[in-house]
Amino acid sequence: MKMHVKNRNVAVIGIGQTSLSSHKEDQNQVEMVQEAVINTLDDAGLKIDDIDCIVHGNMELFEMQFAPDLWHSLGTGACGKDEYRITTGGTTGATLVCAADNLVASGLYDTVLAIGMEKLQEGNTTGGITNMADPLWFRNLQTGALTGTTAQEMIDEFGEERAKRAAMRYRIMMDKHAMLNPRAHRRFGLEYSQMEDLMANSPPLVGELRLIHMCSQSDGAAAMIFTSEEKVKRGTKHPPVWVRDHIQVHREETIPNLFGFNKPEMTHRCAARTLFARNGIQNPVEYFDVFEMYDPSAWWAVDWLREFLLLSGDEHLRMLEAGEFDLDGRLPINPSGGVIASNPIGATAMLRPAEAALQIRGDAGGHQIQKEVRHALASGFGGTFWTALMILEKDLEWQEVNHD
Amino acid sequence: MTTQRVAICAVAQHRNDPDLWHKRFQGMLLDVLEDLQTQTGFTFDEETGVNTIVSCSDDFFDARTISNNGVADVLGAQYRGEEKMAQEGLNALGYAQAVILSGHAGLVLVMGHCKESQAESRNAITNLGFDPFYGRAVGLDYLNAAALQARAYMKKANLTEGHLAGIVVRARQCAARNPYANAREIIAAGKVMSSPLLCDPIRELHAYPVSDGAVGMLLASEERAREFTDRPVWLTGFANCMDSYFLGDRDLTANFALKQAAGRAYRKAGIADPRKEIDLVEVMDAYAHQQPLWLEGLGFCGDGEGARFLDEGGPGKYRVNLSGGMLAGNPLVIAGLYRAAEAVLQLRGEAGERQVPDVRRALAHSTAGPAGQFHSVAILEK
Amino acid sequence: MTEYFGTTVADIFATMPKRFKPEEAKDVDTVIGYEATGEGGGKWKATIKHGTLKVETVEGELTGCKTTVHTDAETMVGVTLGKIGAIDALSSQKLRVAGDPKFLMLLLPKIFIPYAAPQKKPATVTARAIITTIAERFRQEKAAGVTMAIGYDLAGEGGGQWTIEIRDGKCAVREGLADPLTVKMTMEADVYTGMMLGTLEAVTAFTSGKVRIDGDMMAAGATAKFFRKYEVPGAKEAEELLCLRVTNAIEQRFATGPVMGRWFAGLREKKFLANRCPECGRTQIPPREICAFCHVRVHEFVEVGPKGVVTHFDIVYFASPDPLTGAVRDTPYATVYVVLDGATEREAVTMDLKKEDIPRLKEGARVRPVWAEVTTGSYRDLIGFELDM
Repeated sequence: MKMHVKNRNVAVIGIGQTSLSSHKEDQNQVEMVQEAVINTLDDAGLKIDDIDCIVHGNMELFEMQFAPDLWHSLGTGACGKDEYRITTGGTTGATLVCAADNLVASGLYDTVLAIGMEKLQEGNTTGGITNMADPLWFRNLQTGALTGTTAQEMIDEFGEERAKRAAMRYRIMMDKHAMLNPRAHRRFGLEYSQMEDLMANSPPLVGELRLIHMCSQSDGAAAMIFTSEEKVKRGTKHPPVWVRDHIQVHREETIPNLFGFNKPEMTHRCAARTLFARNGIQNPVEYFDVFEMYDPSAWWAVDWLREFLLLSGDEHLRMLEAGEFDLDGRLPINPSGGVIASNPIGATAMLRPAEAALQIRGDAGGHQIQKEVRHALASGFGGTFWTALMILEKDLEWQEVNHD
Repeated sequence: MTTQRVAICAVAQHRNDPDLWHKRFQGMLLDVLEDLQTQTGFTFDEETGVNTIVSCSDDFFDARTISNNGVADVLGAQYRGEEKMAQEGLNALGYAQAVILSGHAGLVLVMGHCKESQAESRNAITNLGFDPFYGRAVGLDYLNAAALQARAYMKKANLTEGHLAGIVVRARQCAARNPYANAREIIAAGKVMSSPLLCDPIRELHAYPVSDGAVGMLLASEERAREFTDRPVWLTGFANCMDSYFLGDRDLTANFALKQAAGRAYRKAGIADPRKEIDLVEVMDAYAHQQPLWLEGLGFCGDGEGARFLDEGGPGKYRVNLSGGMLAGNPLVIAGLYRAAEAVLQLRGEAGERQVPDVRRALAHSTAGPAGQFHSVAILEK
Repeated sequence: MTEYFGTTVADIFATMPKRFKPEEAKDVDTVIGYEATGEGGGKWKATIKHGTLKVETVEGELTGCKTTVHTDAETMVGVTLGKIGAIDALSSQKLRVAGDPKFLMLLLPKIFIPYAAPQKKPATVTARAIITTIAERFRQEKAAGVTMAIGYDLAGEGGGQWTIEIRDGKCAVREGLADPLTVKMTMEADVYTGMMLGTLEAVTAFTSGKVRIDGDMMAAGATAKFFRKYEVPGAKEAEELLCLRVTNAIEQRFATGPVMGRWFAGLREKKFLANRCPECGRTQIPPREICAFCHVRVHEFVEVGPKGVVTHFDIVYFASPDPLTGAVRDTPYATVYVVLDGATEREAVTMDLKKEDIPRLKEGARVRPVWAEVTTGSYRDLIGFELDM
């Protein structure tokens, strides 16, 4: 497979977030956006005048605001600047990172600020999600957005006890990470000793998908600043984090054809094998030092570890059971606590590369991985099982890899 | 090897229609896709074909969260990358250019769709573009915002009803030669001047009619363009710019954002004097007064000189909106893509009855937001 | 009694009877038990029957309850006041419900006025407190060249007599009335307090005779500008957050296009019309203009089913409320994924399963469609599936 060659190298030099909450009633949308923008400018040591271009994204039917970037410009600082707005459902935050990378790598812009936001409490979330379905058919079926089919598949494959324990172990691990992350939204202080109790008593939502397994919603915004290698050379406030490569894999709107007699390859695996192959990464478990994965539910998370890491059989369960995904494990997953802990939809997929970048910088704080983090993987999920996947690096040395 | 320039290899337009009740988006886009494939022979092969798509549509107009998910199959996004410009479609060209110049992809398919006829009122949609506490509550929408602008501009530029009527009459004459246009009926100035007021001073015939449509384009890197066409059109400059949000903070006739966008685009394309160096102009004129107003912002007409510009035959001289412009009817979300499509056809000598000679460089413009809060400018060359 | 969030668990139950809405509870017949552990906790039982409520404390075990709420005292108060999210408390197991939690979440807001913590009266401010600190609020720049002795004779509780002396750009307050005074103002102490706190208009007070002025009237009027406004120590200005609630509705007219049009025409005939890709042969259901994998237009329609095999299913316990009506579906309900006879192996269709069949539902089960009596060519034609046994 041909190696991807970028026109210019692009680094993340600023990362900012707002606090997350289920009801950010003391701020309107513009104020919330501005908070994230100011935080990321501070983090980068830049002023708004240093920004050439703004990239904005959110899912506007959640806030019922048409062309919201126009209003939000009061907070993004876009007045007088170039601005793009790109939306791809739940993967939006990650797409914004891909877009910012494209814009800077193209040479058309030097310093780009990307901002993802959501203020779900301002609209009707169920309505927003239901509206995703085809108005002619699926929207009227009143089937919910939740599904327990993956849980059932895992139970069928690995046995009920082992599968349930795996999902719960993952969930508790995520909460333990969230407890170390003061910015995480939902933090329960769960202990592994509660596993049996939660498995039996957490209210079931759909099949074996229980309340405890599921992410919830948050209001909040995240912003990141990207710049060229040339500008980085002149000095940055924090060490730069390089965007090595990214891929987005979409698919048709129809979902039931993922649940027939057998399953096609999921977009997660397709994204992973394509991205790794063209970057010469043979063994992702060996290569990466951290993986911030977009995990909407504990069941999906465990299943997708097998897909993203190109594993087979029960390799992923064995790694989970052996603690290899813990903060001090071989390949820490979601030191931030993941999507299960914090989910401001338009920003959620941006928080994954943002958190991965903080890990590379050594800035994550309480949930920092102790070993050196040089190679990071971050994923986004959304739409009708779409995937966004990207690789971040501490150093530029991958450029030495030969072409095919 | 790094890419230098980006080419548009082909454009395909779905005819603009007041009400495509018999087709849904998927059907409209498939027609456009097949047209592009017929012209260029491109495929979706993983290695040699399109694996990157930039779509354009709007959640409100489609009444669908993630409006691009319904058309993912038609756009070829199955196990491919697709990004939706949630902005007016001309920006998709600007972004696609960045995707190619970044080295990320050598081929990009741009596909946009919109039906204004689907919702009971496009004004109800644009009303939701104003902030919930004040603008929306007061009842602003893009029509009455444009009317505020029209009143101010008519005064500044000495425009009369006669001028506005003249713009519309000419638009219809051009549209009559454009098989893709919506409103193609030739009308007399008197009919324009007596058409009912929508929102003073904007009359019904000053405003673009409700329209449904779709546009597609295939873009390629300089290395690959000749695989798909022997008449590539080069995108040599693109820029956009945002103005202040609240109408009261802006001078609605000053073209703050458009002048900046145009200035940046001209610099990138190496243009010093647009009047001498651009052979054809397509501006997004949703309302008649916006044609001369945007031409001021682009530098074809002096500030406040709209009346004189029109009296001296400026639009004809500068080959403005030979397609009929947005006045002939394009949906709001992709009207800029239709402008670019016309520019490309003219540059390639494929504009049929509308074709004018010696078109080497053309400009396509689009705008978004109330009374032109946001503008985009693209420079295209043979 | 231990307080949480400014109130006690006991107060929630003590106020239950007066918050009860009997007209909303006419058809309710249930017993709800509550156990709050820890300091300030206890056990209560609420019996609701035919529009009446009985609340009693319970010493021993909570028996005879249809639903029981178990939590700690702090969480009980927090959830009741909305300071702790109920869903969060359920997720973290701080709140457990034996029985149906959804029943409680729907019932309680219906039959009880929400509990609000009792208001605490703010500490009162005295005239003495205000006047003895007036020198701190003196605006020297406004009193240049002014020499004045202002006497205040305030009657009643918190009152007294004071003289404010302004001279050489300085201000001092002394107990008692000096002699001579530039002006003397006589009033009730609480009239003075009212004017200083802004609850009583000074002009009104003067005009209505609540304030008596002896001496230089103009001087009396001028005093206000020499001092900054009094602020109650420790009080924060309560910020009122504006909340605008609007439902936006824009009617839509969706086109089916010829492909989905055929699908609906098929439903009207109680048929499932998929369309088949000419290249890979997959049967797309519902039919689509193109095959996403092969990128070719799909023309050929093929009838599949009507019966089929369940490949996966979901038993749904939690239904999201309808965005427009707020109505919630009866749960549990089941959604089945069915590959219809003649369809290609991946192309499943999804629909509800008849409620009565849920206990016998298994992967691999055969199902048949349940059609509406009168089919019109709409999504309502297919009601769901039932087991084909």
